[in-house]
Amino acid sequence: MLKYYLSMYKDFVLQYWKTLLASKLNFFLGLGAFLVTQAGGILFLVFVFQAIPNLNGWTLDQLLFIYGFAQLPRGLDHLFADYLWLFSNVTIVHGEYDRYLLRPLSPLFQVIAERFQGDALGEIIVGIIILCISIPRLALPFSLLNIFLFLVTVLAGTVIYTSIKLFFASLAFWMKDSFPLLNIAYMFGDFAKYPETIYIRPVSFFLSFILPFSFTAFIPASWFLGRGSFAWTIGGTVIAAGASAAIALFTWKAGQKVYDGAGN
Amino acid sequence: MIQVENLRKVFRSPKIQSGFGGAVKSLFSREWDEKVAVDGISFEIKAGEIVGYLGPNGAGKSTTIKMVTGILTPTSGSCSVDGRIPYQNRIENARNIGVVFGQRTQLWWDLPLTETFGILRKMYRIPEAAWKDRITLLREVLGLDEFMGRTVRTLSLGQRMRADLAAALIHSPKVLYLDEPTIGLDIVVKDQIRQAIKNFRDENGTTVMLTTHDMGDIEELCPRILVIDAGRLIYDGSIDYLRETYGTMRSIHLSVREGHEVDLVLVKARLAQGGLSIDVSWENRTLVISHDRTKIDTVKLIPEALALVPSMDIRIVDTPVGEIIKRIYRDGMKKSPA
Repeated sequence: MLKYYLSMYKDFVLQYWKTLLASKLNFFLGLGAFLVTQAGGILFLVFVFQAIPNLNGWTLDQLLFIYGFAQLPRGLDHLFADYLWLFSNVTIVHGEYDRYLLRPLSPLFQVIAERFQGDALGEIIVGIIILCISIPRLALPFSLLNIFLFLVTVLAGTVIYTSIKLFFASLAFWMKDSFPLLNIAYMFGDFAKYPETIYIRPVSFFLSFILPFSFTAFIPASWFLGRGSFAWTIGGTVIAAGASAAIALFTWKAGQKVYDGAGN
Repeated sequence: MIQVENLRKVFRSPKIQSGFGGAVKSLFSREWDEKVAVDGISFEIKAGEIVGYLGPNGAGKSTTIKMVTGILTPTSGSCSVDGRIPYQNRIENARNIGVVFGQRTQLWWDLPLTETFGILRKMYRIPEAAWKDRITLLREVLGLDEFMGRTVRTLSLGQRMRADLAAALIHSPKVLYLDEPTIGLDIVVKDQIRQAIKNFRDENGTTVMLTTHDMGDIEELCPRILVIDAGRLIYDGSIDYLRETYGTMRSIHLSVREGHEVDLVLVKARLAQGGLSIDVSWENRTLVISHDRTKIDTVKLIPEALALVPSMDIRIVDTPVGEIIKRIYRDGMKKSPA
């Protein structure tokens, strides 16, 4: 079954690349736009640090590491789960959800497979570049364990991003158009690029326990920077990912029931 | 093949309140609007039948289709398709059926048609050889060649509908559901679609259920029709029976020579001598004499009419099926015998 789904997904992605390559200009414009946005964000950090060399106990290199780390889950979610945006404000409103129910595949899979967003490579490339610059400057210790934990936390962060998006997109089953809520929620993701300790307590609480964006960057990144306990940074990230996914999937299922009952 | 028993669907939606705040409020609201879309429908469709499912807008046609295809779960009652309960075994059922919604495509907007068929081959696990045969056949019957390489987004309505039908047939489904498959199409494409449906049924014994407002679809494809209104089944039978029973009104159209005027009251009085009901009307220099052919002998009526009116031409018109159906929609089944 899993093999069948993976092979279907591969086919959809291949199709996507074919269409993309047919319009190269579009692809490079999208990629370029993201690179420029990202460059802007980094320049901002650099300028801030020219004025204040030490922000709340964090050095520029540490901030760059967190910033670079933050790009990866965000970019991966963007790459794979971008269609949730359209789901939130088009699919239900335009009555497009029915067609997923007529195919012999899980509807959620079909929504995700609907798009593979190549633009996101911009975010991911920038993230990797920043990490490649900051890691040697910070002289972070390389070990198999750390590499493994890095991959696990990036994956968990991606799950958190996608789950938060899925939760708010699922509200479309009730509201028809949940785009405004999804948009507001997603904006909080930007907060995760900076150390949580610079925010006032209610904000940092909100970012850890309500919309757990802190677990997509700052908290796991602190482990690699030698701050924070293993249980909180790594364990917390994994638990936050599991809990977010459970809540999001539950909401999605509940939404499907509501859809069934309300008709369109 | 399709069995539907006492099927009922009640939609329940929260009372919508206006504005963004209202939308949030309605998330938690306990007030509901209830609407009975399908109200206890039963019927059975045998393998290989083509059945027309008719009814005015909002009668519950689409809701029924959505329940038998597995999109919606009935509020009560049951249905089974080829021994499966569609809303409980949605995925298995989906492998077994083809669906075309005339109003919106089931295909992927950005994929060229050739790629779409490739994706479907994998999705439905169609053996390569069978898939190739089927595509060759569909290309021919539906004339797909002129646009096989184009993306669905760029197709015209007629092309898109042919593509949708081809995609619904590619995996040789046992049951084909068509929701207004010829809506908005020109006569040539309509004919192509109807021919393809007929061919496919004849060769594969496919069961077909279709909703339509086009009487041409009905007359060409469906020996049997189901009519629903306000969620209830009001007719289940052959189109011929409907014609025999409710389509007994016949009219004689006489084109009257230039310069002659016709006294309608006089004509009516003369023709209706036996006290039988005859209607006459005058339009565009044509006299129309309407009567019930089971009560008044048309053959006797014609010479009488010709003697009264100096005519150039004559036409005899039976009630079109569309007229009969229209009357059923309007007046219901009991009052309709005209």
